[in-house]
Amino acid sequence: MKPRTGMRLVLLALLALLCAVADLLAGPALSPSGVWEVLTGGGGTVERHLVLQLRLPRLLVALGAGAALGVAGLVLQFALRNPLAGPEVTGVTPGAVLGAVTASGLGLAGWESPAAVTTAACLGGFAGAGLLWLLAGLSRGDAATTAVYGVLVSAVLGGLTAMMLTAAPGQLGSVVQWLIGTTEGRVWEHWHFLWPWTLLWIVLAGLLAGPLTLLRCGDEQASAAGLAPGPARGAALVCSVALTAGAVSAVGALGFVGLLVPHLALAVFGADLRVALPGAALTGAVVVCGADAAAQLLSRALADLLDSDRLTLPVGALTTCVGAALLLLVVRRRPGETH
Amino acid sequence: MTGRPGARLRRPTAVRQLLVFTALLTATALCALTLGTPVVPLSELPAALTGGDEGLAGVVVTELRLPRLTLALLAGASLGAAGLVLQEALRNPLAVPEMLGVSSGAALGVAAPLVLAVSVPAAVEPLLALGGAALGGVLTLLAAGFGRSPSAVLLTGAAVAAALQAALLVLMVMADQLDLQIIYRYLLGSLSARTWDEVTRLWPWLLISLPALVLCAPVLAVLRLGDDDAQALGVRVHHARFAALAVAIVLIAPVIAVCGPVAWVGFLAPQLAHRLLPYADAVRRLPWAAAWGALTVAVADLPARLALAPTETPVGAWTALLGVPAGVVLLRARRRHDPSDGGPTKGTDAPVRTVKP
Repeated sequence: MKPRTGMRLVLLALLALLCAVADLLAGPALSPSGVWEVLTGGGGTVERHLVLQLRLPRLLVALGAGAALGVAGLVLQFALRNPLAGPEVTGVTPGAVLGAVTASGLGLAGWESPAAVTTAACLGGFAGAGLLWLLAGLSRGDAATTAVYGVLVSAVLGGLTAMMLTAAPGQLGSVVQWLIGTTEGRVWEHWHFLWPWTLLWIVLAGLLAGPLTLLRCGDEQASAAGLAPGPARGAALVCSVALTAGAVSAVGALGFVGLLVPHLALAVFGADLRVALPGAALTGAVVVCGADAAAQLLSRALADLLDSDRLTLPVGALTTCVGAALLLLVVRRRPGETH
Repeated sequence: MTGRPGARLRRPTAVRQLLVFTALLTATALCALTLGTPVVPLSELPAALTGGDEGLAGVVVTELRLPRLTLALLAGASLGAAGLVLQEALRNPLAVPEMLGVSSGAALGVAAPLVLAVSVPAAVEPLLALGGAALGGVLTLLAAGFGRSPSAVLLTGAAVAAALQAALLVLMVMADQLDLQIIYRYLLGSLSARTWDEVTRLWPWLLISLPALVLCAPVLAVLRLGDDDAQALGVRVHHARFAALAVAIVLIAPVIAVCGPVAWVGFLAPQLAHRLLPYADAVRRLPWAAAWGALTVAVADLPARLALAPTETPVGAWTALLGVPAGVVLLRARRRHDPSDGGPTKGTDAPVRTVKP
């Protein structure tokens, strides 16, 4: 590891810390000094509950989900040799949403049991990726074609989700928040499930760094170097789907994080996966946590401005809008490279 | 195109297609009018239709099922024709309203006043939808550089659509539980509880767009030759694309204002028309795209009404479920059949990029 990349990792970690502090302070109804008081052991019951039972788990869930999505996107892009292969555009995220909605609609899993929801989301994610594979052939074809087919797959899965929701309309209100991605009301149960799951799969992704680098050079080079491309790609896909499913079951379908965070990470750390993987995890955590803080501040400002207290801006809305703008820039700047 | 081997077969194919289409349409219409609660037997249908039946069956058929069927046919025809116009103008079989931000923009225009509790007269709703659709479509086209590269158009459109969807979801989060149900149903495209009022709100718009369609169809046939050739023949390509987008928006927005975004009809119907008339040009394919679009929505409305009765499922979910796979299968068959013609990104893309402005 070069000293410069180490420096960048440390800087990024500091940035993550900064975002975390901002997220902790951004919520309504408690002043920064009040938060500090609670963290140093003082404060009243209400304040303690606010910080320790609501804000802290919310912050941790945002960090964990961001890390999971960043790594999932990076692994997917390397495994499929496709710079446009985020979990959102390969049918993994919509499939995971469908799986989770179906499971809770059939009464197999409640929102309070993260393990069951994650399992269902995993199955759905595999189904979505499998559908795309049937349609487009995941590793064949060029990047943009696969992305376009991914949008079609998402349309079908979205239709199925809509069917499920009209069949069981009672849960619509809670699901809508989650369809766009929100960290509102995440508690310790979510975190207790999220962190071992994410850590496990990120470590596995780190073990796959060598094969993934070979896969990116192309199937022929990979087999010449003694790697069986099929199983390696399968393992990488499993890893990516599992990470996405964990994040989706915790915070919902956060738009564009898994697609664009890997690009940021690659731009900062270069293509060496041993550095880029932790880099992507950190970048994802920074992005989601920062977006969460910004969303809370924005919704406070908007609520003041419009004088309505039920207005909350979900973090997913922010990531989707910023991500869409970034994607427009990318497509516009390099029209040739997306072919 | 007289040199193609299929040209000789054109006439019998067209006649057979007309027969098949009429048979399918009749069957669908009969199902739509008779099935449901109460079931109206075929023998009583003429009496109910002509107003001879004053009882429940007569009212149900003339006041509920007939307007719904009419609306489905009108909406489907508009969406199918608009899909064909967009696809031919951008020379891209995947350039459908859903992919270009047009549908999401129109839906946003209609849903925003609903959530913000601003009461809007029914006559203004199509205008709001029109504004939203124009916003989405023009944004996509401008950001993608007027469709020089097909895949850039689609990716830009996907990004624009996602941003508009996010805005919609924010609105939905703000809405209360009852509004939410209404908006969600609307957003999926629904024909439930539509009466003659909605039909009368829709058809004047179709009257406006019909002459525009007739005027733009020959230009579409020229655009298909490629930007260079079209320019050589005296078509200003950017203007023509914008005009085609405008025609498509005028077709789509009123439908979305009345029924919600009935998804992916504009993808499936032109594919069907292409499949069944492979060598025809845009002028001949346009009426067929409209016809198959009408049939698609009418057919999709049957399961929407009956599958989970008495709960209605949104027709837009059914058109997405049936339309996307069928459209993709047709598209792949078409590319295998004629590799020079339209994949999502391939085809006539390469020569276009060498044009120097």
